[in-house]
Amino acid sequence: MIKLGADSVEMREMSDDDIFSSRLKLLIIMIKAYLKDCPLGNYRKQAIIENANQVFYHSLQLVSESSSLKDHGIDVQTDIVSGEKISAEHMFHQRVKLLAVMAKAIAEDRSMGSFREKAITDNLNKICETLIFNFQVRDVDFLKVA
Amino acid sequence: MSQVSIPNIKIAVIDDDLLVRDFMVTVLMYCVNRDVLSFDNGLAAWRYIEDHESPDIIISEIDVPGLNGFELMAKFKEKSPDKKCLLMSANPSNEQPARNSGADAFLAKPVTVNDLFSVVETFVVKG
Repeated sequence: MIKLGADSVEMREMSDDDIFSSRLKLLIIMIKAYLKDCPLGNYRKQAIIENANQVFYHSLQLVSESSSLKDHGIDVQTDIVSGEKISAEHMFHQRVKLLAVMAKAIAEDRSMGSFREKAITDNLNKICETLIFNFQVRDVDFLKVA
Repeated sequence: MSQVSIPNIKIAVIDDDLLVRDFMVTVLMYCVNRDVLSFDNGLAAWRYIEDHESPDIIISEIDVPGLNGFELMAKFKEKSPDKKCLLMSANPSNEQPARNSGADAFLAKPVTVNDLFSVVETFVVKG
């Protein structure tokens, strides 16, 4: 029997944040694979759309929770440091939402010029920098076949 | 050019946590580019397996209603001894019983995208 997953001392139920973070990483892998010309079959397209919808929805929730804090008088932007943090978080979630929209466009075979590809790559790079996430499509052979 | 191939494979995921189940289905469907079955309890999965050709791989949470993961695996392995059963759990005390009862793999929660990629590389991909 092989064992995969968490170390025994770190085992626990998966939280909403675990799922969101994993889905976001999957979305990044999906788009990187597309940019590297990995083939997209119908089920892969379906998986991209489902994943993009989930990431978009979750990101929307996080943004509205942050706004709701402010609506309840919790003004975390009273000092410059937290103001910058909120702004960076807000931008990150906007980039994630944009990435989800871009992924859906890919899966729906929308036309993709070189500027759109560049915009996708730039957005992807910014998100990966924030997450400190480095994934190489070349390391996963099965993504190159469908 | 890559030498690997993905066979026409049927995978079933059993977990009563909708978010986990849907996440796993999305990752696996993307990896293998095939439909992936999902069930929220062991009994529903077993009823499907009894009435249809067995999936090639089942990935079941141990603590699910109906039939638990161990019970489902016992029935599944009796019907289809050559097919693969992977058990998953958030409880470390389930690892040794999973090993003793003949599971092909134990997935310790929280599982990551990379863990599921490893499942595909180990149990699905040819070449």
